[in-house]
Amino acid sequence: MLKIIKIITHIIILYSIFLVGNWIQQKLDLLIPGSVIGMIILFLLLLSNLIKVSWIEEGTKFMIRHLTLFFIPVTVGVISYFELFRGRGFLLVVIVILSTLLVMVSSGWISQWIVTRKEINHD
Amino acid sequence: MTEFFIGIITILITILIYHFSVKIHKKWDYPFTLPILISTFVIIIGLLFFDIPYDTYLIGGDWISQLLGPAVVALAYPLYNNRHLLKKLMIPVISGTFLGAIVGITTGIALAKWAGFENEIIYTISSKSVTTPVSMAITDSIGGITPLAAVFVMIAGISGAVLSQYIFKYAKINHYLGKGIALGSASHAIGTATALENSEIEGSISSIAMIISAIVVSILTPWLLHLFL
Repeated sequence: MLKIIKIITHIIILYSIFLVGNWIQQKLDLLIPGSVIGMIILFLLLLSNLIKVSWIEEGTKFMIRHLTLFFIPVTVGVISYFELFRGRGFLLVVIVILSTLLVMVSSGWISQWIVTRKEINHD
Repeated sequence: MTEFFIGIITILITILIYHFSVKIHKKWDYPFTLPILISTFVIIIGLLFFDIPYDTYLIGGDWISQLLGPAVVALAYPLYNNRHLLKKLMIPVISGTFLGAIVGITTGIALAKWAGFENEIIYTISSKSVTTPVSMAITDSIGGITPLAAVFVMIAGISGAVLSQYIFKYAKINHYLGKGIALGSASHAIGTATALENSEIEGSISSIAMIISAIVVSILTPWLLHLFL
């Protein structure tokens, strides 16, 4: 029981940070999602020790473990877009796969290049 | 009052279906048995079978979606836990995710535009490389189609995870750092699960790359869209 109360309190803290992120997004008229701003805020608060890990730990672990559950209702919304995939939509699948492979090669290649070059210089 | 009951029932059913899909995935561990795929599929079949409109399902569904925002905020915690690794690998991680973000967003926009899709679709495809809740949030704030964003994210995750071994062999990416960053930047959580199967350090690097990439992509997407459209 105590654990459930802890998890709920932690989620309330996370939710408040999310609301602050949303508020900043609206005030500054940003296109970066409020939740991502909230994530950066929480990271900075943890780094500066203004928020202790123990204040949010149980709740964050719970949310990350069940992340999938939270976006199921939105993904079910694809029900309204079946028509799209029946026709030209197939092209979108090809585009996403192609683009994904390009991301993989470019990001992997540049980071490996930086690291191995460093390692050679160290020798 | 009926609205309230419909809400409670849909929430309970969604949690139940989610619960069983996690069990199925644990027993048969393949990319196509991912809980999100099974849950979405089962719920859609249920709605179609009983002829329930999506809007009715959303009465309860919207309550669950309320937790998407705080769930994204929660991602700060694993990043904080890996802060020493992040500090040590700052330059390769930032360069990799940054280049990956630019390549992912621009090729998505360019190919979709070339194929003649409408702007709404182009907005939606541009953030497909990042984890679902973040991609949905980005898509929502730039005016794309949120449920479609989830579909694109899923395709990016599964195709990247399945094809990564061939890509790494062909592109000669064999360092654990290159592989971790590639999987996290291109295929988010699904890629990170694959990286974890290779080694623990590759998994940690992949999860760092996934979160940094979520931040970089949410900053770059509106800006690059503005530049190209």
